[in-house]
Amino acid sequence: MAKVIVVRDLVKQYPGRRALDGITFEVEEGEIFGLIGPNGAGKTTTLRILATIIKPTSGYVEICGKDVLREGNEVRKIISYLPEEAGAYSNLSGLEYLRFMASFYYDDDEKIKCAIEDAIAISGLGDRLKEKTSNYSKGMRRRLLLARTLMVKPRLAILDEPTSGLDVTHAYHLRRVIKSYSKDHGTTVLISSHNMLEVEYLCDRVALIDQGKIIETGSPEYLKSKYSAVNLEETFMKVVGFAQGS
Amino acid sequence: MPKGLRLLIIKEVKDLLRDPKILIGMILFPALILPLMGAAINISTGSLIEKSSGPLTVYVLDEDRGEIAKRIIESLRDQGVLVRLVDGPYEEAIRDIGSGGILVILPEGLSQRIESGNRGEVLVYYGFKDFSILESLNAQRMTGLLNEIESRLVRDLISENIPGTDPDSVINPLSVDEKSVIKGVAQPISPYVLTNIVRMQGLMGPLVIMIVLILAMQVAATSIAIEKEAKTLETLLTIPVSRLNILFGKLVGSVTIALLATVANVFAFTYYIGAITSQATSSIGNLDLASIGLIPPPEGYFLLGLTLFGALVSALALALTLGTLSQDVRGAQSIIGVVIVPIFLPTIFLMMGDMQTLPLSIQAVLYAIPFTYPVLASQSLITGNYGPILAGLVYMAFFTLFTLYVAAKVFTTEKVMTGRISLKRRKL
Repeated sequence: MAKVIVVRDLVKQYPGRRALDGITFEVEEGEIFGLIGPNGAGKTTTLRILATIIKPTSGYVEICGKDVLREGNEVRKIISYLPEEAGAYSNLSGLEYLRFMASFYYDDDEKIKCAIEDAIAISGLGDRLKEKTSNYSKGMRRRLLLARTLMVKPRLAILDEPTSGLDVTHAYHLRRVIKSYSKDHGTTVLISSHNMLEVEYLCDRVALIDQGKIIETGSPEYLKSKYSAVNLEETFMKVVGFAQGS
Repeated sequence: MPKGLRLLIIKEVKDLLRDPKILIGMILFPALILPLMGAAINISTGSLIEKSSGPLTVYVLDEDRGEIAKRIIESLRDQGVLVRLVDGPYEEAIRDIGSGGILVILPEGLSQRIESGNRGEVLVYYGFKDFSILESLNAQRMTGLLNEIESRLVRDLISENIPGTDPDSVINPLSVDEKSVIKGVAQPISPYVLTNIVRMQGLMGPLVIMIVLILAMQVAATSIAIEKEAKTLETLLTIPVSRLNILFGKLVGSVTIALLATVANVFAFTYYIGAITSQATSSIGNLDLASIGLIPPPEGYFLLGLTLFGALVSALALALTLGTLSQDVRGAQSIIGVVIVPIFLPTIFLMMGDMQTLPLSIQAVLYAIPFTYPVLASQSLITGNYGPILAGLVYMAFFTLFTLYVAAKVFTTEKVMTGRISLKRRKL
């Protein structure tokens, strides 16, 4: 299978703090790959580098064969990014927001219309999309933003904590959408989360990240079996324990 | 225009116009509140003037009963005053005049003193109760009436004592005909009236420039800070549109809103000024500067446009940079509150005075502020003094390019996400 993401020896140094300390991983086409770890582990920094928002101090990142550092504009055409704390323009309606975003990806009005129809289906918000987004609850806004991320049929969807802070109903809807969309469209998804159970449900493979380093990679089943754990949460604690002890 | 830029401008204008803070605070509020204030002032002054223009009632205690006293009373009646003759001791008369009332006492021997070539004394008492404008206006009207009465008396006395003489030629032996020379041509207008009108018209240019620049900076800084606060900037940076287009989209969107706000403000301000000064300036009338040879030449307008464009672009680039580096909308507005000082400083200094009359140190500071040049260019429309503006244009071009470079640098690097400035930091 073709590699959609190649990350090698990625380092990000902030003044007085090393956010990433030489991480390396690869993601294959159609995979849902999870970066899991506690707050401050380096998940968001990695995703922001892949999404062309910030630059690494050193290392190499490639998306669909394009160098993220040198071909940022090209990379932005094939990815779609959902930040952890994203908002929508509060003075636009949900539909206006979707049209605005889709117009950057397509020139053809028909394609824009198709993308919006997809987004309507993905979000499940129906007529509420005609309202200003300032009237939306957090869950509704997250549904809208996930729909915006997926409607442009990206080759790589980068989702940072997609269900963080949502109630069970909205979180359940979002997880189902992500899983089925990836399966139906063959979309590669890179997801970050500190919710281990969510990642276990969604991801084909995961990388456990702690203090800017990837400490283990593999499928949830493989990792659970390797560390004789009942779930990924227990796996993570055991791996972190080993890592700290080693 | 690139498609991405067009989309961003449309979104920017739509989003900002729908923002109550912008729509109400910057456009609707000034557009309504200033005319309302003007109308309120106009109505109250109008009714005051109407009330004070009615016949004035004056109580007269004539203790003299001579010829001059009679003439004074007749003169008052001739000028539409309702004269009420009173008797009795003056203390009682004073007690009775009440609010806005006027008591004139013509003391015994007044006529005799004047007829024998001495000065006569007239006592006038003005009644004050609530110290209203009406009471003050009545007093002013009475002073005017007394001046007129005195003038009539003088004319009568001259005619009686020097028969066959025109009293006016004795009172004012010199007839002064003042003219103002503009660009070598004598114009039939007094220098005082001319300078007042030019100064009034010269006020508007700097004021409008100040309003445009301040509003544009507030809109730009707020728009990018809103984007940051609402967490939409991070997404915007990952869609397929160049960072420079995002920057220019913000610039053009902010200018559009600022121009709309300026139109509303200028319209409202003009109405307000017109309303509160309509009574005061009616005697001067409107003078067409073009009719007396003060037609601003096209190159003057070109220079004004150029300096204004430079000031606007650099102010916006500065505002966007500061807005981007702020934590939130409140932080952006606090920083802009400090940065706008150099904008209104030249306007305040130059609105009331000339650059040449200011101390050298202040001149140096003003010349160092790029936002001074549009104000100077606005004044040069009348004075034709383009020298400092041409020199300033080169300086402004550098400043504008520098601010644009900084803004582009902030937008095209990760500083757009990670940069932080705060006024609080200085307190540490």
